[in-house]
Amino acid sequence: MRALSYILGALVLAILAYSPATSLAQEELVTADRIGRTDAPIVLTWQIIAPHSHLATIQQRADGFRALYEEWARAHPDVRIDVEVIPGERINETQTRLLEQARVGQAPDFSAVDSFFLPLFKLAGVLAPLNEFFDEAYLNDLFPFVRQGVTDSAGNVVAVWWSTDLRVLHYRTDLVPVPPRTEAELIETAARVAGENPGIDGYLYNGGRWEGTFFDNVAHFWAQGGQLVDDTGRPIFNESSNREAMLNMLRFLQQTVQAGASPARVASIATYGDFEAAAQAGTVAMFQGGHWQYFNLRNLLTPEEFAKWAVAPIPQLREDLASTGTGGWTQAVFTNDPQKKALAVDFIRSVYDGPGAVVIGNPPTRQSLFQSEPFYTEDPIWDTFRQFLVSGQARPGFPIYPTISTEMQVAIGEVLTGTKSPEQALDDAWARVLEAYQSLQGT
Amino acid sequence: MSRRVALPKTAALERPLARRPRDHPWLWLVPLLAVTGAFYLYPALDVLRFSFTNASLFRPTYSYSLSSYASLLRSPDFYYVLRITFIFTAGSVLLQLLLGLLIALAVHRGVIRNLPGSVFTRAVVLAAWITPGVIIGLTWQLLLNEANYGIASYALTRLGLPKIPFLSNPIWALVSVTVANIWRGTAFSMILQYAGLQRIPHELYEAAEVDGATPLNSFFHITIPQLRPILLINIILITIYTLNTFDMILPLTGGGPGRATEVIALHTYSRVFNSFDLGKGAALAGIMLVISLIMTLIYSQLLRSEEAE
Repeated sequence: MRALSYILGALVLAILAYSPATSLAQEELVTADRIGRTDAPIVLTWQIIAPHSHLATIQQRADGFRALYEEWARAHPDVRIDVEVIPGERINETQTRLLEQARVGQAPDFSAVDSFFLPLFKLAGVLAPLNEFFDEAYLNDLFPFVRQGVTDSAGNVVAVWWSTDLRVLHYRTDLVPVPPRTEAELIETAARVAGENPGIDGYLYNGGRWEGTFFDNVAHFWAQGGQLVDDTGRPIFNESSNREAMLNMLRFLQQTVQAGASPARVASIATYGDFEAAAQAGTVAMFQGGHWQYFNLRNLLTPEEFAKWAVAPIPQLREDLASTGTGGWTQAVFTNDPQKKALAVDFIRSVYDGPGAVVIGNPPTRQSLFQSEPFYTEDPIWDTFRQFLVSGQARPGFPIYPTISTEMQVAIGEVLTGTKSPEQALDDAWARVLEAYQSLQGT
Repeated sequence: MSRRVALPKTAALERPLARRPRDHPWLWLVPLLAVTGAFYLYPALDVLRFSFTNASLFRPTYSYSLSSYASLLRSPDFYYVLRITFIFTAGSVLLQLLLGLLIALAVHRGVIRNLPGSVFTRAVVLAAWITPGVIIGLTWQLLLNEANYGIASYALTRLGLPKIPFLSNPIWALVSVTVANIWRGTAFSMILQYAGLQRIPHELYEAAEVDGATPLNSFFHITIPQLRPILLINIILITIYTLNTFDMILPLTGGGPGRATEVIALHTYSRVFNSFDLGKGAALAGIMLVISLIMTLIYSQLLRSEEAE
């Protein structure tokens, strides 16, 4: 009998605990799928990838975003954001689906859009213009490639690009006191260091079959003014001066191996992790990698070893040329409801445009933040990255780009292994890209 | 030998045949056919349908034509990929079959003689089979990494041997992915052939021993003929598995350097998910289906002709 009364008592307590009055008093402002109060009269829908949300697997990130969301929700008690958190993988698939949803008017009110895919959304005309929220001072503050990226053909601002990344030359100052500024200097320095220090590779870079190989090395093409596609997405990388620029890039890569600046194994390197492993093992003098690897090396190496490492711009054909591949994420608005649009932009600017970049530890897209945000002013390396980003270049987000990248990865592999000459490899890649382009066009 | 027991006739058994559920096979087959049709047959037929279109993942409209097949058959890349696939498949099938048989024989003899370690050997070999292809690719990538800290390179250096360009040389890269696939698939062959060995009556070996047959005689005149049906199934299955392999190659070489390790399954994947060319991707899948069917027919024909002899 006593046991029964205990059970009944527990049941009553449980029911009380879940009563509406209690739950309202204790309601969390941020849950897995909601930001704000459940009973808020204004409701927005939003899609975000998990690594850039409160559901990130890195706890520090998750806590950082949760705190930002809570702060915004407290300041906007009348607004609820219904959140759809999608995986950070299979970006091609999720972004293509979002584009299709937007085309048929089924997209959320606002969403994360990969900067690489932004041109496709712009071409489809599905993004809401956000001109009224951004003045000229704000736009001038953006890096040139960012401003170009977020502006459509009619001159409208259609997205907020809030974080980016870049590729740089990492070098060991004890072996290379002065970083090379041209490709010829790079080859000469790397070959000399490798010759003088058995067991040490002069220069490593991605040369295997993966996106990093083309994305990293295409900076040598872009710096010469090369263009992969025209404004409509038609491939032009083998036409007129672009062909010469692309051949220069392939010849440079061929030379790195032939001159002994790089080992032949670069043709199999398909991960940035290999560079960090080589740095840890003390077997590399220079490598072309991501800016984030500077911080990775700081965590991996002893302070004495890390002190030997520095970064420099990617050496180019001539000293006066500069370029680096950049990526990152934007937030774009699909709703044209003025109130919702204003709230979405307020949320994006309060949470992501600045604070969000700090949470994920990536460079922001506004140059002034490098001087005003303590996170970026505390470490002088950020100002170095800021300078490099001025010559940043984003990949053209047209459907033909993955084919161009794949075929040029093949071409680079063929040139590095000596299977084909740069001219032959480029011509073959060009023929395949044109065929794929015709298929995409349905001709 | 068991005897059939004559059951007494009952009223239920004497009911008209049409009313007994067991005489309506369709009733029982419908759920199976529905599942097979919805989840296997329909997607397969849809792939075949797409292979006769110029469909793209980025274009909602498409038209029906033979252009995908025509374009593939005109492309020199297609024949290059077929050649790579043939080398990869032939090497994998042959060695998976041989190594699987050797391990199965060793384990079988070990079990018969109560030798310790038979179960352990089976478990170790099976570990390769249950490991996902992506993990196998990454593991072999670490093993064959050509840097000084790569496991194989380190071992070669310690032995005073020159380094081998396992993944950066086109020929070595093809050898490397084939070896990795052999390592992955040998366990499956071993399981099938071990099961086959257990079905061979021991009396046959005893009789052969009495007749003075050597172990080699017994192997060729008892083991192999008795295993032949299992070997056929084994060859068919590992040929199909190998033809469809790309999950292991993707992390190991990505198909490179250049196109040196781009097998047909990886080429198909690339067509669909890099070039968004659904029509040609589906046509390649159709060609893979035809190749698998042809290989199956050849194997069964070979077996039949050997049995006839």
